[in-house]
Amino acid sequence: MKNVFKKVVSFTLAAALTVGSMFALASCGKKNYAKDNETIKIGVSGPLTGGAAKYGIAVKNSAKMAIDEINAAGGLYGMKFELLALDDEHKKENVTTTYSAMYEDGMQISLGTVTTAPGLEFKELSKDDNVFVLTPSATGDDIVEYSNAYQMCFADSNQGTASAQYFNANYQGKKVGVFYKADDEYSSGIYEKFIASLDQSFKSAGVETATFTGDGLDFSTQVNMLKDCEVIFLPIYTEPAAAFMKKGVGVISNSAIYYGCDGLDGVEAEFGTWDEFMAIPQEVSFLSHFNSKAESGPAYDFVQKYNATYDSDKEPVNQFGAAAYDCVYAIFEALKFAKENLGKEFDESTSPSDYCDILTEVFNSDSFVFHGITGKCEGNNKSDISWDDSGFVNKQADKYVVKPAN
Amino acid sequence: MEFLLTLINGVSLGGIYAMIALGYTMVYGIAKMLNFAHGDIIMVGGYSIFVFAATSFGTLPPWVSLLFAVLMAVIICALLGFGVEKLAYKPLRGASPLAVLITAIGVSSFLQSLAQVFFGSAAKFVQFPDLGSLSLGELTVSYSTLITLISTVIVMLALTLFVKLTKTGRAMLAVSEDREAAQLMGVNINFIISITFIIGSSLAALAGLFSLMNVPFIKPTFGSLPGIKAFTAAVIGGIGSIPGAMLGGILLGVVECFSNSVPTLAPYTNAIEFAILIIILIVKPTGILGKKRREKV
Repeated sequence: MKNVFKKVVSFTLAAALTVGSMFALASCGKKNYAKDNETIKIGVSGPLTGGAAKYGIAVKNSAKMAIDEINAAGGLYGMKFELLALDDEHKKENVTTTYSAMYEDGMQISLGTVTTAPGLEFKELSKDDNVFVLTPSATGDDIVEYSNAYQMCFADSNQGTASAQYFNANYQGKKVGVFYKADDEYSSGIYEKFIASLDQSFKSAGVETATFTGDGLDFSTQVNMLKDCEVIFLPIYTEPAAAFMKKGVGVISNSAIYYGCDGLDGVEAEFGTWDEFMAIPQEVSFLSHFNSKAESGPAYDFVQKYNATYDSDKEPVNQFGAAAYDCVYAIFEALKFAKENLGKEFDESTSPSDYCDILTEVFNSDSFVFHGITGKCEGNNKSDISWDDSGFVNKQADKYVVKPAN
Repeated sequence: MEFLLTLINGVSLGGIYAMIALGYTMVYGIAKMLNFAHGDIIMVGGYSIFVFAATSFGTLPPWVSLLFAVLMAVIICALLGFGVEKLAYKPLRGASPLAVLITAIGVSSFLQSLAQVFFGSAAKFVQFPDLGSLSLGELTVSYSTLITLISTVIVMLALTLFVKLTKTGRAMLAVSEDREAAQLMGVNINFIISITFIIGSSLAALAGLFSLMNVPFIKPTFGSLPGIKAFTAAVIGGIGSIPGAMLGGILLGVVECFSNSVPTLAPYTNAIEFAILIIILIVKPTGILGKKRREKV
């Protein structure tokens, strides 16, 4: 009898302890670190040092520029914004630190991460805390898996498919080559979708494939493998692409066409004018949501302002920055929309979770259309940008010719 | 033909690795430390060439300006190597190898961050005078490839002769054999270690030149991967051995290019190179040309 009593007591105590700790945990998760905020804090985690630093720095600078503009113009109903930007070195394992530091510093809304690999960690953390994510440039399809996440950039699958469609329509009969980075989610993700959507006619003629890994830039072997191709698809970033094209001078036919995705944007800003320095004879073009070479219109204005604000020689502007600029304004417009059309109330101390619910409702609403500098801008008009419920962006991409064939 | 071309590319890339590996191996052989900042000295050399070539282009004939830039890079790197040793490593002489290793990694990130502050994170294009290429029937080899190869061989021979024939060279050998005994015989250890760092860093400047001739872009992380590859090469060849560094470097370069030329293997190139390192460490831990040292009890 005594034993039974002991068992009951111990079981009750254990149960009480479990339930109690669950409550403690729950209240811990609900703690609103933003309750003493004097500004609305937007956080972003990106590479500010290391090999991918130029992307993170462009995002940080551009987001800062947008926030400064908004604040100078009086803010959002008088409320000011503040940017929190921490360095994840483009490494997944650093995200727990950057995320928690920003969350505990009162981050209410986030731009997620700049690059895809760290973003895969960020999405889990932000989902657990219900923090809104609008990433400027993490293109992985999985980034927007959960309902709190949206992309300003095109998803990889979208870019791969759109590029293949362009090839199917314009390059029939030409021999296709692909050069991609096998250990990079962005590059291999686009490659897989590209090959899947490419017409059978190209594949029966044989698609040549060359790859590289790591940070090495010696591509003599790869250039040699693709030397007979007439159109070369380069779903990679500017540095390897420029190194590849430079090595290709005199090896790859002058009439060949280099065709890339949004990663190729900025190649000209970084390496100076093509004719003078690079002496690359082939046509270079890319499919992107932002034209950093625009000669007028919103994209041009943005590039001018960026170059006037920051040292464009050290940290040249790229589409990552343009997308971050759009992200900040999209959040700004969405909050305005929430107040005026949906009657939502919020202030500087509203919790991240409440902001997430508000913004998710706006971004899923069919009547919310944002006008930005990325996407296809006609003349001086800004583009139309909207989001579908799964978090993917709807806007028009365009093929930009960076440099025609000589 | 494809085979021959890949082989030449591989040997040329290997020559660059070998040049860096020589620096690693010398510093290890004499100071008994792994200078993980060695790769970043290559980066500093690369930026020096970038700065001096850019400022003197136009005012001087291209060849003269290139030679001037290389000379300046060698001087800057030699001074940097000397300074790093004096400031960061010398106070730790006699400390545990781990402390020295961590310091070297610290120096490496310091130099990278410094370069990012000065030059920004984006890559810079470095302009070189066009050297042209040599055509032998169907085979076309660029002169920069040939220059890399020939220079590496000359440097290796010169270094071997220097160590064997000069008084300073023999003092280096003595220090690497037994530091205390050498000191007792009147060898100035500090001087020898400084000289080693100066030579190693000058070679790093040349490695920077050859890397840029191969791929004309520079950024703050420019030296990281070549540095690690060259370290691997030095260990494969037998760390501490000068011909071993050469052999390891060329072997690694050739393996890299051949692996890249086979589409199914290409994604695993780096993995293959480091797998070779592991195999060598298991089968012959001293490296291919490394000396076996009998442990005395």
